[in-house]
Amino acid sequence: MDKQYWQSLEDYRETKTKSDFSKKAEPEFSIEGLDESEIKAKSSRRDFLKMLGFSVSAVALVSSCQMPVRKAIPLLNQPEELTPGVANYFASTFFDGTDYCSILVKTRENRPIKIEGNDMSKLTKGGTSSRVQASVLNLYDDARLKGPMKSGNATDWETADKEVIEKLTVLADEGKKVVLLTSTIISPSTTALIEEFTLANPNVEWVMYDAMSMSAIRNANDLNFGRPVIPSYSFDKAKVIVGFNADYLGNWLMPVTFSKQYSSSRKISGKNPKMSRSYQFESLMSLTGSNADYRFGIKPSEEAIVLLNLYNKIAESTGMSVYNAPKSPVDVTDVATDLLKNKGKSLVVSGTNELNIQLIVNAINNALGNYGTTLNISLPVNLKQGNEKAMEALVKDMNAGKVDGILIQNVNPAYDYSNASDFKTGLAKVDTKVSFADTMDETAQLCDYVLPDHNYLESWNDAEPIRGSYSIMQPTIRPIFNTRQFQDTMLKWMGNDGDFSDYMENNWKTMLADSTNFESDWNNIKHDGVYHAKVESDELSNFSAQSLKARTSKNVDIELVPYEKIGMGIGKYSNNPWLQEMPDPITTTTWDNYLAISPAYADDNNLKLEDIVEVNGIEMPVLVQPGQPVGTASVAVGYGRTSAGKAGDGRGFNAFGFKFGESITINKIAGKTYPLAMTQMHHDMEERPIVRETTFDQFKKDPKSGNELHTYDEKHNVTLYNKIKYDGLHWGMSIDLTSCTGCANCVIACQAENNVPVIGKEQVKNRRIMHWMRIDRYYSKDEANPEVFHMPVMCQHCDNAPCENVCPVAATNHSTEGLNQMAYNRCIGTRYCMNNCPYKVRRFNWFEFVNNNNFDYNMNSELGKLVLNPDVTVRQRGVVEKCSMCVQRIQEGKLTAKMQDRELREGDIKMACEQSCPTDAITFGNLLDENSAIKEDQDNPRMYHLLESLHTLPSTSYLTRVRNNES
Amino acid sequence: MIINNFVRINALMIKGYIFSGLFSLLMLISMSSFAQTAQDEKNFQQCKACHNIDGAKLIGPNLKGISEKRDEAWLIKFIQNSQEMIQNGDELAVQVYNENNKIPMPSQNFTDEEVRGLLLYIEGGGVLPESEAVAQAAVDTEEQQANKLNVAADAELLLVKMKRDGMRNMSYVFIIMVILIVVSLFDLAVFHIVKARWIHYIIVLTAIVVISEIIFVDATSLGRQQYYQPDQPVWFSHKVHAGQNQIDCRYCHFTVDRSMSAGIPPVETCLNCHNQVKEGPITGTKEIEKIYASIENNKPIEWVKVYNLPDHVYFNHAQHVNVGKLDCAQCHGEVKEMDEIIQIPDLSMGWCIECHRTEDVQFATNKFYDQYKELHQKLKDGEISNVTVQNIGGDECAKCHY
Repeated sequence: MDKQYWQSLEDYRETKTKSDFSKKAEPEFSIEGLDESEIKAKSSRRDFLKMLGFSVSAVALVSSCQMPVRKAIPLLNQPEELTPGVANYFASTFFDGTDYCSILVKTRENRPIKIEGNDMSKLTKGGTSSRVQASVLNLYDDARLKGPMKSGNATDWETADKEVIEKLTVLADEGKKVVLLTSTIISPSTTALIEEFTLANPNVEWVMYDAMSMSAIRNANDLNFGRPVIPSYSFDKAKVIVGFNADYLGNWLMPVTFSKQYSSSRKISGKNPKMSRSYQFESLMSLTGSNADYRFGIKPSEEAIVLLNLYNKIAESTGMSVYNAPKSPVDVTDVATDLLKNKGKSLVVSGTNELNIQLIVNAINNALGNYGTTLNISLPVNLKQGNEKAMEALVKDMNAGKVDGILIQNVNPAYDYSNASDFKTGLAKVDTKVSFADTMDETAQLCDYVLPDHNYLESWNDAEPIRGSYSIMQPTIRPIFNTRQFQDTMLKWMGNDGDFSDYMENNWKTMLADSTNFESDWNNIKHDGVYHAKVESDELSNFSAQSLKARTSKNVDIELVPYEKIGMGIGKYSNNPWLQEMPDPITTTTWDNYLAISPAYADDNNLKLEDIVEVNGIEMPVLVQPGQPVGTASVAVGYGRTSAGKAGDGRGFNAFGFKFGESITINKIAGKTYPLAMTQMHHDMEERPIVRETTFDQFKKDPKSGNELHTYDEKHNVTLYNKIKYDGLHWGMSIDLTSCTGCANCVIACQAENNVPVIGKEQVKNRRIMHWMRIDRYYSKDEANPEVFHMPVMCQHCDNAPCENVCPVAATNHSTEGLNQMAYNRCIGTRYCMNNCPYKVRRFNWFEFVNNNNFDYNMNSELGKLVLNPDVTVRQRGVVEKCSMCVQRIQEGKLTAKMQDRELREGDIKMACEQSCPTDAITFGNLLDENSAIKEDQDNPRMYHLLESLHTLPSTSYLTRVRNNES
Repeated sequence: MIINNFVRINALMIKGYIFSGLFSLLMLISMSSFAQTAQDEKNFQQCKACHNIDGAKLIGPNLKGISEKRDEAWLIKFIQNSQEMIQNGDELAVQVYNENNKIPMPSQNFTDEEVRGLLLYIEGGGVLPESEAVAQAAVDTEEQQANKLNVAADAELLLVKMKRDGMRNMSYVFIIMVILIVVSLFDLAVFHIVKARWIHYIIVLTAIVVISEIIFVDATSLGRQQYYQPDQPVWFSHKVHAGQNQIDCRYCHFTVDRSMSAGIPPVETCLNCHNQVKEGPITGTKEIEKIYASIENNKPIEWVKVYNLPDHVYFNHAQHVNVGKLDCAQCHGEVKEMDEIIQIPDLSMGWCIECHRTEDVQFATNKFYDQYKELHQKLKDGEISNVTVQNIGGDECAKCHY
């Protein structure tokens, strides 16, 4: 391999200077990073004797104790559909105001424990995102409000209703202005309800607000097509995709849907494989950029210039009007040629919320004839309806004392509005302030009444993310607390005693007016969770061209780019410890945000990782990010919550005050550092051929390209021992690295399925992260604009497993189905297996993570423990754990087949990571089944095993990464 | 030792079965002409749970004069499969169903002949004709009576023994042994009362052996609860329900063949019968009242769990009962003879594995096992004669621990 791969900058610079390998990096179990007390904590002979005495007396004490009496309490009436011990699945919808996903909720004994993707949705097609996976934990959040509150004190619903209705009536009678401030609402029934409410109360104005707005796209389409909409995008139909600061695989608009589409256009199969090509121009290292075939770093102020140059190049050859443009910092000739070659089969998108930029993007798509193929204006996306102008006006009006009442639903502008202090001063001037927040968030704290809404898993609702594509949300558990759904509250205030589920059903009756049997149709829709109506594409008005312009780029030191992290988003789930501890796919940092700067800037200004700098009065740690364009810095929003709950409060700093492209000065605060807990260097694979990749052109010439070592290893790895023979079942997994985008959905899915504990920032820093599945991130090429490589790694279930031979108590051994089993009750914690595992996938329970106040996360709370999967043991201190290949799912699938008296079928058993993968990168199955997809992958010329030269014979395999570029 | 106990229980039970089997055979031979009607009385036991011939209405209607009221062909059909008739919309069947609070009558596995016999028996008011009664009495000879008593006494004895074993308390023996060691060592070293040294050695060695045995047995049973028989909040007798009334285990533990948990029946299930049966033979109304109290107060009955497995063990009833076709009694013992449930096996891993090593899987009948091609080949070639759970990996860690 002539290509060098590296995981961190230090790593890169060491290898570049060809210094001695042994000096490099830190070992797996370094005491570096441990706190002083831990390093010094040596035990003496006396300690040993003390402990011995103590443990002997403890054993004596325990043995003299009675076994606890365990109760078996049946239900009074057992509903027919509930069988204790058997999981039920309900189709539902995840929508939190920003992200949409069609889901299945797995419930055990009527309590939701896991979210799965809904295969029947034509949008998300069974995929989810890490936030969707983690959302089940929000249901069991201790920070949730237990009932209605009045000025910070608990009250009851009757009193609250009476008082609020009284106040609203007075306001209505006097004709004073009341504002209903909500997040984007994509529910047709809720919209109907709110419209009914505003009709009955003409003094109420409805304003929708998004923390990260996309109104420029709507405005641009209004100018171009006369419709203020966001079109639906089809990344699967595009052969060339050009993105400008649009993280469509991570955060932009509908990342799950787009990931499904994107990966489907890049699946390499069949005799004539096809693959789309993606270009990404961006001002930070995003998930999409890290997966793009070509990536270009630009400053925010250069985006319009590059776009206009691109437009001009295309317009020249299509005979359209050309506009004056400053010289582009990037040569876009190749991109333009590629786009022109794929007219009608290409897509240009921009995530920048600037009208001018969106107009140029529209003009390019129009010139390429993409409307009607990869973009569809007549099937608009209903997400992101927030109106910036209306919000600005509201804040102004509030400050001017023109607003007398405000009802706030599902938004937290006191935290995430760009000018939060103005909002707060304005809010203080409003007489009647009612919030429907489910936790005491920053905005709810300032309100008189907080009437907590249900969690989405307790609610009825519907959704129409794209015109004609409907999705139903239904409750999967009875409300845990004394909360009430926002819509029910609305109905109550309107004097309607019914509940929202009836209202919704009535609404659907009118929507399905031509249905001959509404009852059965409605039941089917609720069962499937989705409904795809037949919609006719209506006639489009002609594209009305607007004049395009681009200002010369700013000549400033640093332009700042605020962005959303894959896990944290806009900070709504700040109190979710799973998401807090999820390593960011790019920086692998947990629990914090930071200022990401370019390596060149860091060198020039003598800054390094964990230094503290001051920007606009906010102190923040520095992270040197390879690929961060020169002249830019990026910072993640969603941190710095002050009123989120135990896990979220005081993590990082609030970056919502920064504007996109804002010029800043960075002042180093000398002598101060802040530790960042990164998993980056935990599992360095050193210089072995772990990462294998090729380009599409080379692949077409030789499918084995990039994977030549596999043949070599197959040939040279001979052994005297017999290969294990399997009869009937041999489980295997394969991961297509070409599809995998590194979105970390699988990490959280695995955590939810397998009761993986959260260990907190300190312990992550000590390299003790417990995730059974990690996503290794490698860089290659230069540090200014590296190529990025994501690789999920979990237990490889080796047939010749190094861990099994060294266990002194045979706690880990091999099954007749090819699984590397781990018996926790047998493990004595020598950690020999961890030491001997070449993949470093084994995890040791250094502490008791359950019922331990030092790890005050969900496993230390009676409520939080309800999310645990009852089929998986909660591990105790002192044992080793690792990926079990979801053996509980395998056993369940086998049992179902046995009970139905049939053989196992493909797809009967799906791994937690595989089920909801938004790119279908993971395949699991029986390697002995000749017709299975896994067998096909096994015979794929791209197939290789990790470190196959060690002859560990893993059951997990990888398919080489294919990039659609040159070099 | 523990397993021995279990084997002994089995042996005794088997003895009981053999005796009763022999005697029913004898009975059949000796009274072939009257067998029909004696069998009817036995068959009627199944009806008795819900029907009286004369007297108060139980769950189903009173059966007096039923043959006159209904057509015989209809009755036969209804008794064999009432639900089908209701579903097919038979008017009379639906009417009967509605009249009886919509509690469906379970299908009875009787032949037409048997139903006719039953109807004759009911017509006679539930009394055997004199000649048969005599014959029946003749069958219940002293020998059989004695045998019945023997079986019952055996079972009783067993339970007593189980309880005694469950409360094995060797602490006095342990202390005495320790004292013996101390005394003999002192004598050996200081007092020299007994001159022959080998006596000391023998005493010390024996005491050590006994102590080791006590420690070993007690330590292995740490955390185990063999012969555990807690007091339940309701004095519920399995002997009355499953034994005398012959109610199938699955009637109450109805999730046993589809879930990991056999299921403790909801109070609702008790009411299926006990909304009519308000008085029991042993405790009168005292215990049955608790059912009504539970419903009234909307509070479920908090049973004490008897069979407890550690958290790191996964056990699935459906796998064993539905797929493995095991009888409940194979693990739970003769529940039909127990008033309150007592834990028969020690639920040790050895006990599980023992069975996995010896018990056959449904290799030929369940299509799931078709994929084990090599094993099928071996069976065909006669290399192996049967396939045990162990042969398909049933003794591996991750089959139960995950």
